[in-house]
Amino acid sequence: MIRVEGIHKHFGPLHVLRGITFEVPRGEALVIIGPSGSGKSTLLRCINLLVEPDEGKVFIDGVQVNRQDIRPEWARQQVGMVFQSFNLFTHLTVLENVALGPIRVKGVAREVAEEKAKQLLARVGLAAKALSYPAELSGGQQQRVAIARALAMDPKAILFDEPTSALDPEYIREVLDVMAALAQDGMTMVVVTHEMGFASNVAERILFMDAGVIVEEGRPEEIFGNPKHERTRAFVSKILR
Amino acid sequence: MATTEATVSRRTDPVSIPRGHLVRLAEMVGGGSIFLVILQSVLGFDLFDRDLWSSYGSIFVAGITRTLTYIALVLPLSVSVGFALGWVRVSRFRSLAWPATVYIEFFRGVPPLVIVIFVSILGPTLFPERFQSVELGLILGALAIGLHSGAFQGEIFRAGFQSVPRGQLEAALAIGMQPVPTMRYVVLPQALRLSLPPLSNEFAVLIKDTSLMAIIAGGDLFHLSQRFMDQSVLTGAGELHWLFIIWTAVAVVYFAMTFTVTRLMRLLERRVHARSLEGISI
Repeated sequence: MIRVEGIHKHFGPLHVLRGITFEVPRGEALVIIGPSGSGKSTLLRCINLLVEPDEGKVFIDGVQVNRQDIRPEWARQQVGMVFQSFNLFTHLTVLENVALGPIRVKGVAREVAEEKAKQLLARVGLAAKALSYPAELSGGQQQRVAIARALAMDPKAILFDEPTSALDPEYIREVLDVMAALAQDGMTMVVVTHEMGFASNVAERILFMDAGVIVEEGRPEEIFGNPKHERTRAFVSKILR
Repeated sequence: MATTEATVSRRTDPVSIPRGHLVRLAEMVGGGSIFLVILQSVLGFDLFDRDLWSSYGSIFVAGITRTLTYIALVLPLSVSVGFALGWVRVSRFRSLAWPATVYIEFFRGVPPLVIVIFVSILGPTLFPERFQSVELGLILGALAIGLHSGAFQGEIFRAGFQSVPRGQLEAALAIGMQPVPTMRYVVLPQALRLSLPPLSNEFAVLIKDTSLMAIIAGGDLFHLSQRFMDQSVLTGAGELHWLFIIWTAVAVVYFAMTFTVTRLMRLLERRVHARSLEGISI
């Protein structure tokens, strides 16, 4: 579903990604862990081309998307994204937030888009908040709306960039539950997170990144229980303590 | 549930003028009239002096018409220029930013009067001979006022654009929106929340700045009124107190024009205002 080959990215003198290659098969929930500054967010942003890789190839469903003749908007329609800071459109109601993409990108009729938006809001447990504004919601509610907004575009996969890092502890559970249900339904997901409970229960595979490279990958029990690399062991021991 | 209904009604009927506005407008007109009555009783002359208005009336109307024409020409131009400058200064096309900066610094620093004079005199010479006329000079002079105001509006728009967090843009791009719809549906509505109040200010200034056209005999309200005063009061053909009547009438007209525009801007402000994002009230 998603494949990246030899991705490099520089920000000025910083060499943030140093040759990343991996693949996410359809229906897999992949979790990426690693210390801050290791390039996890940049890697996600390279997949939907919010950041353009300097080198390497990004494939979505077999099609290379970082090419001159493919519009980045096309790639971004295929792959949804959920941000650490939610980024809901503050001037629109919850319903309008979810329906905006289908209406303005896909040209879906407003009534149809809003009907579907209501269903998606029900799916994330927020049908009653359709006419609220984002600022009237808790962080957990906002993030669930953001997930509904991503789903509204019928993406083939969704990227989650530390979706619970900005949440108060009491709201983390409800967001993770929605994500786990999505994984259960077979959504292809790439999740950057520090939630080790989620990583071990929901992820089929875990990548450990450090300093712009993938140090180790494996099943959750391997990464957490029996890491092969010293760097993985050091990181895991810090976060599992 | 009351708030929900309020939202729904506001959204289905977004352009209706709220009743409160009409009431306030009536209050303003009433208050203004009372003020004028008191003014003329204190000054001791009749604001509706028959002798004056029989000769000045048609000039007055012609001046208003011409001034409104200038405003209709200049206001849209200045907003377009301002919007473009503001966008360019925050756009990813870095190379366009410095010409915009040069433009803004130039027009902010040079007196609009000088610009109007230069453009109205030299501008027509750039056109083929058969197009050259006094009217062309006037139109170019008026456009110069718009270009001048556009520089100020550019900074107002830039401030608005820069107030929109980067995450809003990324979220729009991440659902596959293209740059222009992103601007139209995500960035602009949020930028306007910050930009509309100073934009109203600038519009009020711009409306009154059309009186600069008087320096090149623009035929606007200010110019015609001044000429009438010269030809009647100062030659002794009219009475001295006409002077007060004329300029009071002129002031009332400019006030009515700016007031109308700034009230319309208030309506626009209500439209981009998002519930629960209200500022503080101390």
